[in-house]
Amino acid sequence: MPLLFPRDDAIDVRHRYKPDIIKGDMDSIRTEVLDFYTNLGTKVVDESHDQDTTDLRKCVAYVRDLAPNLDKSNLCILVAGALGGRFDHEAGNINVLYRFSTIRIILLSDDCLIYLLPRTHHHEIHIQSSVEGPHCGLIPIGMTSVSTTTTGLQWDLTNTEMRFGDLVSTSNLVQGEKITVQSSSDLLWTISIKKT
Amino acid sequence: MDVMIHSSTFLLPGNDHSSSVTYALVVLNQRLPRFTPILWNHAQVRVCADGGANRLFDEMPLLFPRDDAIDVRHRYKPDIIKGDMDSIRTEVLDFYTNLGTKVVDESHDQDTTDLRKCVAYVRDLAPNLDKSNLCILVAGALGGRFDHEAGNINVLYRFSTIRIILLSDDCLIYLLPRTHHHEIHIQSSVEGPHCGLIPIGMTSVSTTTTGLQWDLTNTEMRFGDLVSTSNLVQGEKITVQSSSDLLWTISIKKT
Repeated sequence: MPLLFPRDDAIDVRHRYKPDIIKGDMDSIRTEVLDFYTNLGTKVVDESHDQDTTDLRKCVAYVRDLAPNLDKSNLCILVAGALGGRFDHEAGNINVLYRFSTIRIILLSDDCLIYLLPRTHHHEIHIQSSVEGPHCGLIPIGMTSVSTTTTGLQWDLTNTEMRFGDLVSTSNLVQGEKITVQSSSDLLWTISIKKT
Repeated sequence: MDVMIHSSTFLLPGNDHSSSVTYALVVLNQRLPRFTPILWNHAQVRVCADGGANRLFDEMPLLFPRDDAIDVRHRYKPDIIKGDMDSIRTEVLDFYTNLGTKVVDESHDQDTTDLRKCVAYVRDLAPNLDKSNLCILVAGALGGRFDHEAGNINVLYRFSTIRIILLSDDCLIYLLPRTHHHEIHIQSSVEGPHCGLIPIGMTSVSTTTTGLQWDLTNTEMRFGDLVSTSNLVQGEKITVQSSSDLLWTISIKKT
């Protein structure tokens, strides 16, 4: 975080950007980092006994179930640093979207974002063109999507089947401000994030 | 069912010409993995996909900081640059053209990705290549835009009878087709221990493995439920048999 504010004092930045909670199996956090935030009042929840679930899954469950003073009627969980690196980690993070399909969870990297479009709904995606696009895609990760229909894309789909081994909508482009998507299966929506 | 044997010998230094595998290298437009020179030495044909030529030009000299940049660029000259040419810089195109690199402009074909064009080229057209045991190494295939990554993974599924390995600095991925029993021989000096088996595209009703920390035994895997991630290799040989095509992924060691 201090690197993103090169003109500010590093300690000041770290005080301003203090997490409420640090959670996980604690096998990566450095001791001096843990001490620094503990001294500032960050709550630490050591879940190292639970080796069956990923760190992200633990954190999503915490936000959903335990975070105090949070109005969860319209909750959206933003996940920074969710993509790139080891592919098995990335796949595990994507699987969290499928496991918690009733919660809005957005995976973010410097280059793009991903979230689930559950088959239970028609979807309207309002494009914030100052910060995202135009490159986008619809990805049938978990199963064949027998029928998908879209509007607002350069290459729209019309009751089109998508599956790995055949058509997957990648390198598509958003046209205008609103995309609609309706599919017989859960799909991942992905859109590029602009460099500024 | 036949056994298919996998071994990441392409990550080991040296070019063992006695190997029966013919390697081709495709360079995509992401940061070059630090071991790209090792892949290059194993490969008998080297292809840049459009902006991959920029990466080669800009970043190969960075991997040889004590050498003269122009020398490095001469040594690591691709055989062909192919794709829709909307990313490659003019001076890069001119540099390699002047060195004899063949350029195939496919900008008329907007229906297929650059990687797909390059794989089709290697499979169909690359001259003087023994393709009876072909393995296509793809550098810079992961990270960056997720739709690109998904498109690259889809190339593995579309060309499921060709060995294609997607590589980044952190890991590699390849397809384990359901048509075979698989033996994966672990090169522990360069890869592991973190690994996973990913049922992309469809539920895998039954998978059985040996050699992993958390082996599967006729176990179902699907997105929304169990996906084998953060697994660990134990020892030197993994076996996998599945009712569906799976992606195998393993971490690459930092050295």
